[in-house]
Amino acid sequence: MAFFELIKPDTRIDFVGQSKYAIALSSAIVLLAIVAMFVRTPPIRMGIDFTGGMEMQLHFEQAGSVDEGGIRQVLGGFGLESSDVIRLGERDEGVYLVRMQRESAGDQNELVDQVRDAMAKELGPVEVERVGFVGPKVGEELRRNGLLAIGVASLLLLVYIGFRFTPIFAPGAIVAQVHDVVVTAAVLVIFGREFDLTVLGALLAILGYSINDKIVVYDRIRENLELHTAQAFPQMVNDSLNQTLSRTVLTGGTAIFSSFALYFWGGPVIATFGLAMAVGIIVGTYSSLYITTPILLALQKRYGVTGTSAPAAKKGGRRGEKESRAARA
Amino acid sequence: MTAFRWRIGLVLALVLLFAHYAFANFFSKDTRSASPLLPDMAMRLGLDLQGGIHWVLGVKLEQAEQQELEFLRENLEAVAKDEDFQVASAQVDGTRLRVSAFGANADKVDAWATRTGSLQKSGVSGDEREFALTTAAVDGVRKRGMDQVLEVLRRRIEDPVKGVQDSVVTRQGDDRVLVQIPGGNVDRARAREMLRVTGFLEFKIVRDQAPSEELLRGRFPDGLPPDRVIATEHDKETNRVLMAYLVDAKPAVTGDKLKDARVDFDRQNRPIVAFTFDDEGGRIFGELTGANIGQQLAIVLDNQVYSAPRINSRIGNRGQIEGRFTPQEAADLAVVLRSGSLPIPVQIEEERTIGPALGADSIRRGIQVSAASLLAVLVFAVVYYRMSGAYATISITIGMVLIVGLMTMFGATLTMPGIAGLVLTVGMAIDANVMIFERIREELRRGKTPRAAIRAGFSRALPPILDGHITTMITAIVLFEYGTGPIKGFAVTLAIGLVATVFQAVVVNRLLFEVYPGNRPVATLSI
Repeated sequence: MAFFELIKPDTRIDFVGQSKYAIALSSAIVLLAIVAMFVRTPPIRMGIDFTGGMEMQLHFEQAGSVDEGGIRQVLGGFGLESSDVIRLGERDEGVYLVRMQRESAGDQNELVDQVRDAMAKELGPVEVERVGFVGPKVGEELRRNGLLAIGVASLLLLVYIGFRFTPIFAPGAIVAQVHDVVVTAAVLVIFGREFDLTVLGALLAILGYSINDKIVVYDRIRENLELHTAQAFPQMVNDSLNQTLSRTVLTGGTAIFSSFALYFWGGPVIATFGLAMAVGIIVGTYSSLYITTPILLALQKRYGVTGTSAPAAKKGGRRGEKESRAARA
Repeated sequence: MTAFRWRIGLVLALVLLFAHYAFANFFSKDTRSASPLLPDMAMRLGLDLQGGIHWVLGVKLEQAEQQELEFLRENLEAVAKDEDFQVASAQVDGTRLRVSAFGANADKVDAWATRTGSLQKSGVSGDEREFALTTAAVDGVRKRGMDQVLEVLRRRIEDPVKGVQDSVVTRQGDDRVLVQIPGGNVDRARAREMLRVTGFLEFKIVRDQAPSEELLRGRFPDGLPPDRVIATEHDKETNRVLMAYLVDAKPAVTGDKLKDARVDFDRQNRPIVAFTFDDEGGRIFGELTGANIGQQLAIVLDNQVYSAPRINSRIGNRGQIEGRFTPQEAADLAVVLRSGSLPIPVQIEEERTIGPALGADSIRRGIQVSAASLLAVLVFAVVYYRMSGAYATISITIGMVLIVGLMTMFGATLTMPGIAGLVLTVGMAIDANVMIFERIREELRRGKTPRAAIRAGFSRALPPILDGHITTMITAIVLFEYGTGPIKGFAVTLAIGLVATVFQAVVVNRLLFEVYPGNRPVATLSI
């Protein structure tokens, strides 16, 4: 039977062999990402969700005659010249976000109305599309809950994989996950994107996608462990990666396509989400192929497939034999 | 074969049921409730999609503790009078009640404190003892405070006359209230009025009056008589003082004895607020007015005098407030009176207002882009897997119907991140189909017959599909637990989507392959 195939079934890429370069590359990227996040000026932009403060989204009708400087000048009249003014989307859309630090929502309504009137006078008709205020207490809590959510989710997934497969499968998946989240966050920082609840949501979605990707490979390895008992473990892992490669590419490809669609055409609100998802899926696919398995192999070498003890001593019979052979290989 | 028929029937019934619910979303609320055929339900649109106001309010529960201590202090003074012992001083200081008493009196104070059951001694220095509320009492006070705040806010915001339809007031955590008022045209300033702390109505007999506070004070060179205070009446436009009244410090009757308050019109057709007392309030009010005929009665709201009419005759349980209102002001005041006073002040900790235009624009773009990318992916699936790709198209479409139907049934809220969750779900749905088809291809390459390959493909692809969905479900649950507002919406959509995805990929797809090729001994499979 002839199939329409993007990845030929006889594809044999030496992922395991190449993984040492990948590990070096990834370590460098992660290190660079961490450095970039702290050195970059201005540093990571946090949305008001996490810092607290107030923001208003303005939509100017005469987009051509409006720019950040003009808006800042009007704000100066209110003693708000230190506000951030950020253009959303293209200049001809005329959508701007103005953000200021405020402790309480007290006189916000009046302020919003006054600012709108002043803007309308100076820069032409304007609509206030959105107003947001987050108190410092809530901001701090949202930040804490966000980190907690990532931590708790990772921990639960670690436990799930540990039980569903064997304990040695868990660390590789978790390291890869952390890698995916850090690299995605770094890319967003480089793109000058802001961290808010939407990005947090995207990072969590990436966590879910990435773990799903790893599980498909793990599942194949588990199946092959039962079928090809005589095969060396590293070879088996590499075969598993190649056998699932077609699925990896097809699923990853369509998901990346959908995410980029959101990025390019989804409008300013959802663009960041789309970008985060697209980057996260690319990075997640890469880490499934190159980051997860070397860690799994290193652990298997040391603890055996069951992860309970030195491989040779345990369990006699075919399984133990296979594990010891795999360990020696 | 019969089992097969049963399964087909069951799946069709399920799909029809959910399609029925999903279908309801295409009709307006009025059409839905008028039609006997349509379920009267629809997906709720999140505030980010339809516009509206989102508030997280912090409730200042420390003040509830203080109020409780203040109440206990008054109780101590009353008890001391009854039992004839001397309390030198008693005052509330933050979350502490400080009492000074000498000699044997101190023991009486301690005995009283024990009797209240809610105080514990937290310190003694000299003749001064310090009491604090016990942990149980604090918990009780805080819980009661939250319940009261929720109750009052609900009554105000969900008020049928002035409140906003479909608005939601819910508790968030121990000391927060989440308020969501949909509709982009809600006036922010007016909505904010609903958070007004007080709305505390008092009726007081007027003892003296003068055109300004200074003049009135001037009549009492030695200071105001005890138990008397000054309340002023203001002009609404200019806020200038119209009249200052000397009134009793303690009100004769308060607004919590009110049964109802509504807008009415006087003979000149000016708006007034008419109110009705409950039985007890009516009795007290009757006695008060009966005993003070010819005097003026000040109607004081939040320490401001609204009017001070002369009492012409004994009044029972009905009365009215005249105050040169606009109809809007009268309506607002009636709501505040009806709902009673907010016992504890609240503070806005988070506010998001989204205009309806932005909401409409984002929903349109989000749905268009999602639909377009799904369509593109399905076309690709048909090109890549041919007949099987068409099967995937059918089952994924059914999956989408299930998602929309389930969300409608649960009354789930669709938010912008929720649409993103749907996109992720579609990704997972495609992944599940790809896994199955790739596996079937593999089995075919190994030389299995189409029938055997289909059977093996489905059973081998099942474990990774389930594992992937369970782990994503774990993420969704964690998100729901720790997320707020829009992120919760994402979690709900994702969770519902995951259930639908497993169903379409494993059950619907399988069934399609049973319809064709089924048991036919085909030589090739279009996959």
